[in-house]
Amino acid sequence: MSRFIRMMFLVLIAIAVSGLFYATLAAQKGSENKGRFYFRQTCKECHTKGAAGGEVTPLNKTMEQWRAYFAKGTHNHGKEPLSKYLPADQLLDASSFLINHAADSPQPETCGK
Amino acid sequence: MDRRRFLKFSAGGAATAAVAASVAYIGPFNHAPAKDAERLEIPTTCEMCVNKCSVIAVVENGVIHKLNPNPENPKSRGMLCARGNAGLQQVYDSARLKRPLIRVGERGEGKWRPASWDEAFDLAANKLLETKTKYGPQGTLWSSTESFQEVFFQNLGAAFGSPNRVRHATLCLASVNLAYSLTFGTVPSFDLINSKYIIMSGANRLESFITPDTMDLIESAEYRKAKLIYLDPRFTVTASKADEWYPIRPGTDLAFILAMLNVIIGESRYDKEFVANYTVGFDKLVDYVKPFTSAWAEQETEIPAIDIVRIAHEFSDASPRAVYYAGRRSSWYREDFHTRRAQAILNAIVGSWDREGGMVPNGKIALGEYLFLPWDDPVASRVDEMDKNFPLAAKGDGAYLKLRENVIAGTPYPVKAWMIHKQDPLNALPNQARTLEMVKQMDFIGVVDVQMSDTAWYADVIFPESTYLERTDPVEVLSGITPVVVFRQQVVKPAFDTKPTLEIAQGLAKRMGLSQYFDYTIDQWVDAQVKELPLQMPLDHLKKHGVYVPSDFPKYGTTLNPEHRFITKSGKIELYSERLEEAKYDPLPVYHALSQPPQGKFRLILGRRAYFTHANSTNNPWLNQFAPENRLWLNPTAADSLGVGDGDLVEAKSSVGSVRLKARVTQEIRPDCVFMLHGYGKKSKWQRLVADKGGSDAELLETAWDTVSGNASMHETFVSVRKV
Repeated sequence: MSRFIRMMFLVLIAIAVSGLFYATLAAQKGSENKGRFYFRQTCKECHTKGAAGGEVTPLNKTMEQWRAYFAKGTHNHGKEPLSKYLPADQLLDASSFLINHAADSPQPETCGK
Repeated sequence: MDRRRFLKFSAGGAATAAVAASVAYIGPFNHAPAKDAERLEIPTTCEMCVNKCSVIAVVENGVIHKLNPNPENPKSRGMLCARGNAGLQQVYDSARLKRPLIRVGERGEGKWRPASWDEAFDLAANKLLETKTKYGPQGTLWSSTESFQEVFFQNLGAAFGSPNRVRHATLCLASVNLAYSLTFGTVPSFDLINSKYIIMSGANRLESFITPDTMDLIESAEYRKAKLIYLDPRFTVTASKADEWYPIRPGTDLAFILAMLNVIIGESRYDKEFVANYTVGFDKLVDYVKPFTSAWAEQETEIPAIDIVRIAHEFSDASPRAVYYAGRRSSWYREDFHTRRAQAILNAIVGSWDREGGMVPNGKIALGEYLFLPWDDPVASRVDEMDKNFPLAAKGDGAYLKLRENVIAGTPYPVKAWMIHKQDPLNALPNQARTLEMVKQMDFIGVVDVQMSDTAWYADVIFPESTYLERTDPVEVLSGITPVVVFRQQVVKPAFDTKPTLEIAQGLAKRMGLSQYFDYTIDQWVDAQVKELPLQMPLDHLKKHGVYVPSDFPKYGTTLNPEHRFITKSGKIELYSERLEEAKYDPLPVYHALSQPPQGKFRLILGRRAYFTHANSTNNPWLNQFAPENRLWLNPTAADSLGVGDGDLVEAKSSVGSVRLKARVTQEIRPDCVFMLHGYGKKSKWQRLVADKGGSDAELLETAWDTVSGNASMHETFVSVRKV
């Protein structure tokens, strides 16, 4: 029993630490430029119209929702960690891109773009 | 006509050059085509203005004989305007740039020596790297104007590590774009062809710029009998076709709009359902507009109150097929942003959104992308301190005039090298003397252009770009109510030793350790873009037709459902803007009465004529014929008081410069204003048709910018005028 309790305690610690890690990640600022590349290269394969994961664009969530998503750090309705697809530094960059182009982020349009 | 004959013609001196030029440009055309001449019709895309109409180039034996419209592109309305037709002069005018040039002598002396590409690349790359060593990559400035190959120039600056990118938009429409972006989350198009009531403030669409909007306005106003109300201190071609023209006092358009809001809201003439379902902030707007009565607006605008009320009634009655047109160039006054916000709010409360005849969010077409791992974000922040000075504006465009002031002052850090693509800052920016100060303190200036502009005249190295008819470009989506994909393919091989911007970027990148960001050909780039188009063989289609037109547009009403989230903070159309409030700007448009010119002075106002694209086509031999010089428009009352007759030489003088040009005495302008066309009085002697001919407005215009967007404010200058 005590072995079981020790194991559960370690699992809880691991979840808390990874949650803290992803929360910290979400608060940092990555490279939006590179984040766009990682998002398109890795995520778009499944998250495009007609593909397995359904279309995902930055406009799918508000800034706060994207921050919360990356703070949680899980994918596919919590079944797997985001780190399965992108390492931490690339996740940071991808999160910066998505947050800065979110459904409620300031995105003034320009000419010829 | 082969290249040797062209080079022979252009080798002569100044006197013979003029003759040679006139012979050279008619040379290819002064004979009937041979019977067995190879004749091709190649679809491509125009580059003579921002519109990008589709073109079919008629080519015989490797020479372009004619540029015709391409009827397959609905966006270009089956037409090709005067500029589009004159586009082949970019290729064949002997005054164009033909090879790289390196300055000898002082800047502005116009002394050049031809150079090889290697030499030009080596010199420029060394100078840029030197600047990086001394001042960091932020010590370089990268200025550009929109073009299909602009992306490569911009990428070069970004890969170099500089945060300092500045674009033409901050001299033109930055204020209108920001106002509409903040209100709707996007900048819509105006469905003029289906409108029943159109108000235009100074947007001289039937004269200044001939585009599909122009054609739609003609169809709408002339044939479908929409009512056109036009406000302008000048009686322009648009005024002559409008149902009503008001010579509004300059700078008071916002008063007019606020009074319209007062009437429409006060009399409950707004679209209640639309306002309730799709907007936020209406309750604050109701109280806010109460003081702005039509009687008050009459005092400000000089438009009778009875007409303001009637127009407000007619506008709301015609809605949702009623629009207050946003305009394009909105670089007028320091408070321009608020005027455009008021327009957006007015259109919104009558429900002219996403419906026929109203404003319609642009349709988009997804393109693929050539993917490569890009560079790190720049370390330094921008020299124009956008986050501090204009926190809501489009950072990628910058604020040109604030940037110039900071660069001259050397704050927050020095900027000492300037690379310029398809832009003439000496004419594009107000206050040319200040731009020349900026030029003077640069250690290095490199220009990419097709002609010897005034700014190229002051450069250290000139990279001659292949004209749009001599190169293949990235594919572009022209978004709009009927979006299309346009293709620009090479029509003729480069007539001279020129390169497309991608190859210029590659040449520089190689020498600066940045090749990995340019390790592709234009064909690879285009292939990646087109692969996601829903066509069997997309590239073949584009090469054959020049355009891809999806069949499922126009679409109206896509945002008119309760689930739709506008790209705004609240998710709704923001009549009242919290984002503006948080940034410490006025959340509703605030009217500040402009100071008016003192006795003996005039407000200088600007405008365009459709033959010319800003300052860059006044030297085109075919277009110059329409207006070989500019004149200063003066009302007869003003002219009489000055003793000036039509055609007399006058001097116009502001606090920053003076120019001399002939007067045009006309009833077509208010007595308190003067007007002149842009793009004359050039310094570059290679622009022989307009060098020292007429006057440059850039020499007169004072430095001023819009408080929220940083957009240049070009109608704030007062000038004195005297006969000379």
